[in-house]
Amino acid sequence: MKDLKLVSIAGLMALLSTLFLAPILTSFTVHAAEKVEKAEKNTLATLRNHTEIMTQKKPNRMPKVINNDIKQVRNYPMQPPVIPHTIRSYEVNKNNNKCMSCHSRHRTEESQAPMVSVTHYMNRDGNFLAEISPRRYFCNQCHVAQLDAKPLVENTFIDMHSLMKQKTANTTEH
Amino acid sequence: MKNLLIIGWRTLTKPSGYYSLGALVIGGFIAGIIFWGGFNTALEITNTEEFCISCHEMENNVYEELKTTIHFSNRSGVRATCPDCHVPHNWTSKIARKMQASKEVWGMIFGTINTREKFLVHRRRLAENEWRRLKANDSLECRNCHNFDYMDFTQQSERAAYQHSTALASGEKTCIDCHKGIAHQLPDMKGVEGW
Amino acid sequence: MSINRREFIKANAVAAAAAVAGVSVPAIASNLITSSDITKLKWDKAPCRFCGTGCSVNVGVMDGKVVATHGDIKSPVNKGLNCVKGYFLSKIMYGKDRLTTPLLRMTNGKYDKEGEFTPISWDQAFDIMAEKAKAALKKDGPEAVGMFGSGQWTVQEGYAAVKLYKAGFRSNNIDPNARHCMASAVGGFMRTFGIDEPMGCYDDLEAADAFVLWGSNMAEMHPILWTRLTDRRLSAPHVKVAVLSTFEHRSFDLADNGMIFTPQTDLAILNYIAHYIISTGRVNKDFVNKHTNFRLGETDIGYGLRPEHPLEQKAKNNGKSKGSSTPIDFDEYAHFVSTYTVEYTAKLSGVPEHKLEALAELYADPKIKVTSFWTMGFNQHTRGVWANNLVYNIHLLTGKISTPGNSPFSLTGQPSACGTAREVGTFSHRLPADMVVTNPKHRAIAEKIWDLPEGTIPAKPGYHAVLQNRMLKDGKLNFYWVQCNNNMQAAANINEEAYPGYRNPKNFIVVSDPYPTVTAQAADLILPTAMWVEKEGVYGNAERRTQSWYQMVTAPTGAKSDMWQLVEFSKRFNIEDVWPEELIAKKPDVRGKTLFDVLYKDCDVGKYSLDEIPDDRLNDESRHFGFYIQKGLFEEYASFGRGHAHDLAPYDRYHKERGLRWPVVNGKETKWRFKEGSDPYVKPGSGWDFYGHKDGRAIIFALPYEPPAESPDDEYDLWLSTGRVLEHWHSGSMTQRVPELYKAMPDALVYMHPDDAKSRGMRRGDLVKLISRRGEVQTRVETRGRNKPPVGLVYMPWFDASRLVNKVTLDATDPLSKQTDYKKCAIKMVKV
Repeated sequence: MKDLKLVSIAGLMALLSTLFLAPILTSFTVHAAEKVEKAEKNTLATLRNHTEIMTQKKPNRMPKVINNDIKQVRNYPMQPPVIPHTIRSYEVNKNNNKCMSCHSRHRTEESQAPMVSVTHYMNRDGNFLAEISPRRYFCNQCHVAQLDAKPLVENTFIDMHSLMKQKTANTTEH
Repeated sequence: MKNLLIIGWRTLTKPSGYYSLGALVIGGFIAGIIFWGGFNTALEITNTEEFCISCHEMENNVYEELKTTIHFSNRSGVRATCPDCHVPHNWTSKIARKMQASKEVWGMIFGTINTREKFLVHRRRLAENEWRRLKANDSLECRNCHNFDYMDFTQQSERAAYQHSTALASGEKTCIDCHKGIAHQLPDMKGVEGW
Repeated sequence: MSINRREFIKANAVAAAAAVAGVSVPAIASNLITSSDITKLKWDKAPCRFCGTGCSVNVGVMDGKVVATHGDIKSPVNKGLNCVKGYFLSKIMYGKDRLTTPLLRMTNGKYDKEGEFTPISWDQAFDIMAEKAKAALKKDGPEAVGMFGSGQWTVQEGYAAVKLYKAGFRSNNIDPNARHCMASAVGGFMRTFGIDEPMGCYDDLEAADAFVLWGSNMAEMHPILWTRLTDRRLSAPHVKVAVLSTFEHRSFDLADNGMIFTPQTDLAILNYIAHYIISTGRVNKDFVNKHTNFRLGETDIGYGLRPEHPLEQKAKNNGKSKGSSTPIDFDEYAHFVSTYTVEYTAKLSGVPEHKLEALAELYADPKIKVTSFWTMGFNQHTRGVWANNLVYNIHLLTGKISTPGNSPFSLTGQPSACGTAREVGTFSHRLPADMVVTNPKHRAIAEKIWDLPEGTIPAKPGYHAVLQNRMLKDGKLNFYWVQCNNNMQAAANINEEAYPGYRNPKNFIVVSDPYPTVTAQAADLILPTAMWVEKEGVYGNAERRTQSWYQMVTAPTGAKSDMWQLVEFSKRFNIEDVWPEELIAKKPDVRGKTLFDVLYKDCDVGKYSLDEIPDDRLNDESRHFGFYIQKGLFEEYASFGRGHAHDLAPYDRYHKERGLRWPVVNGKETKWRFKEGSDPYVKPGSGWDFYGHKDGRAIIFALPYEPPAESPDDEYDLWLSTGRVLEHWHSGSMTQRVPELYKAMPDALVYMHPDDAKSRGMRRGDLVKLISRRGEVQTRVETRGRNKPPVGLVYMPWFDASRLVNKVTLDATDPLSKQTDYKKCAIKMVKV
């Protein structure tokens, strides 16, 4: 009888403890899982690979320069074209301008490179000079090579040509 | 001192009275080997990069500039050392180049280019020497590694393939015509053809 | 042309299919669209969104979208040119992750500091903000609320914010990110001249015979000014360019005399030049006697670290110094600088003697007109104010100042660091027009213009930028609003200060931004913000040029401008919520009013009618508030400076001009200040008049070389310098979202000397850790990039949100300017 009582008390206690502890345990595991998920999801950190501020994802490999010589469409006529080839060790300094050894007017027949735009011959006051204007001397201030890296965030800029096409399409039908 | 020289001279001009002709010939032969070998060994030492950059003029200017270029660090790790480009492989040209180089030693001793600024003053002349030499030998030192016959144009960029299959193939141009300044910075290029 | 419904649907379907396939269905038999009503773009001018150069750009709009931008031919600043960033301005507003709804950290529908960001309405956002701000004000008073603003704010936004905080909340805890950028320049100007901002202008670029760049990489950071400098150097061969830096960068491409110096020794070089001028007998004695005073500055002033830091404990005048000084005479000054001999300076700085002499001669030769430029190399310096003072010394000793081509010129990083941060005075110690809160007369002037009772503005300076992060961490600053900047990516030592500060459970952090920045990620509430030409505004550039622009496109639905947010938020406060009864009693008519009524509507700000806005102009904010608020804010602000050497033109004129350089007196702008003939404020007959000081004299300061806060040692064996790159600005928050700019410079690499890499077993591309006493960051090695550091120093830019180099940097500041030194701390590097 006494033993039975003890057993039943033990059983009751076990039952109670399970009842008490279970939610705490489950809540603990759920909480931990949530934390991990939160850290990984972090949808706001678009430029940070969705990583918490105090952690860092392994930096990706250094991308290579795109060297395919294929002209990229310009976003608008006044955009300086990007450079479709490598420019490693190309010197543009007080002594010489490597870019111009292909892209200057008198070199383009031999190089078959595009000639720099006529605006590059204009000085500050809009007058044409016989050579490239010194204010345009450092090509790399406007023209940049492109690396083979995938943009982290898409850009929804709309080309004016797309807008015009929509409008011409609309006017045709009326 | 003077007496010593006179005695030495007399000994040399006198016919040998002590040694057999054979011994002299063999001795001379051995001495010749030692001298010649020593000369060549010494010559070879001067053909190493370590020797070149033992002068700070070389180390701080041209070698420092080389470090960031493709001839120093690249995909396959095949590296050009100073003599690969600047010392001709064939013997006569090598000796001729070495004679010229004695002037460089002179320059080092008297500090002609012992600062960066002085070096830059002379850079155009120094570069022209090398361009002239490479133009004259059809860019031989380039071609020691870059053999036209084995270039795979499909692995080159479109521009490079075009120029190599036309101007280079026809012999109208040689490597140095287009590839100036690939291993060191350029001097003022005013008046240089193609610039 | 008639068309039935069926045909219409069919034609539309064809067009839609064609559009999907990417082919056009031409309206006429040509592949060109020529009809002018379709090809027409609406063009308008605006200042560029990026740097302090202040280029004007033409913005082309079609169907409510910005579709093109190019350099403004009519602008005297850039004459049709832009840099690569400027040319891609068209795309900065169109990153796909633009924020369009307020986001609050919530759990189960309730605010929770540890909750998930959840979309809420603007009303809900202002509810929780007001609740938190009122709670903080009630518990600990005005010192518990604060704001971190921006040199990218428009003038009106900065002014609205200052008014809200200093007058509304009666808190001086408002500071701009310009504190990180040019606070030392301000300190230098105020100390030497008693008035802020450069005396010269960009016209100096076409007039100088020599340029000296002191810690400025203009080629990358101010590209358009660099085009003007290049133009001058290459078209006038007698012109010389000297470049000083702690590592070689793109500006060295044009240098006639390039100098790499050991970090911090610029102070010694500056004193050497003064010594050279004196010892070679080239002091302009007439100028010096008439227009200058000499003073000996207080030294050993500490490093602006927390007071318990050993370096602060050691410094004799730590924390106490306000930059005090005592008068000396010329001979005492000459004796002071005589220790900086060429031998001593060459040894200390590592610059060869002949190069130092060539540099000094540019200043000493009376025939050479010399312009000095500097940016962060001087300003982000634990002795930044000193560096500024010292460069003025050499211009003053030779009288090479305030005349065309003779110009000590401080360049700025942000588009309106001058216009907004400095001129409006959005600093914790300032008021508009160079006035300060510590001066009772200045407070009285501000209170009069703002029509507020005496004693509204607190006299004690608030928390400056670096102190704000420390106070957040210490739980003293509990309601904190960050607008128009990305301080979690910019502030130094976020590991120990900013991050624990933002995440301190006692604090509520609000971040307003167009994009989800690192700072937004650390916030509790994020407010989506309209940007650039989605609103009307005014910027002021580095040559005192004030430029305005109209709103050209509407912001994405849900995004609101910083100004709208500030002013709309002010409606949530009754004056009784924020002012004590005794203050209200001094001006009973404010009773029952909101801060909106008192600060914006029922005062000069609210007096311009909507009729003044042309009908075809967008102006979302004014039409929302019911009055021309941008004009009102500008005109009220301008009344601070008019008649006090800070005169601005009437607001409407700026819409017609490509900017005007203040002071604008009788409709005429001022090119060179302090010089008779070009500055209307100069007393006639004086020649030069440095009227910022009462006696009209500028001060030449005797200040020594003092070592940096942290130098490399056996364990942390490398110098780390941080900085910007050409392609990215403002922490990359806009530029990293432009694909062309991203692909030009996607990642922040660590630039190092090939020998340094080799001796550590590293090579280009290796994954490495940069470790300091404060934290670490991983990146990859670049040994042949555009920056070529000497052995012993590495450079890593900070534009990359995924590689936060500010976990490593040291939050030591100039104790005078409170500006952080981002250019030098000690690190070690290990391979990962």
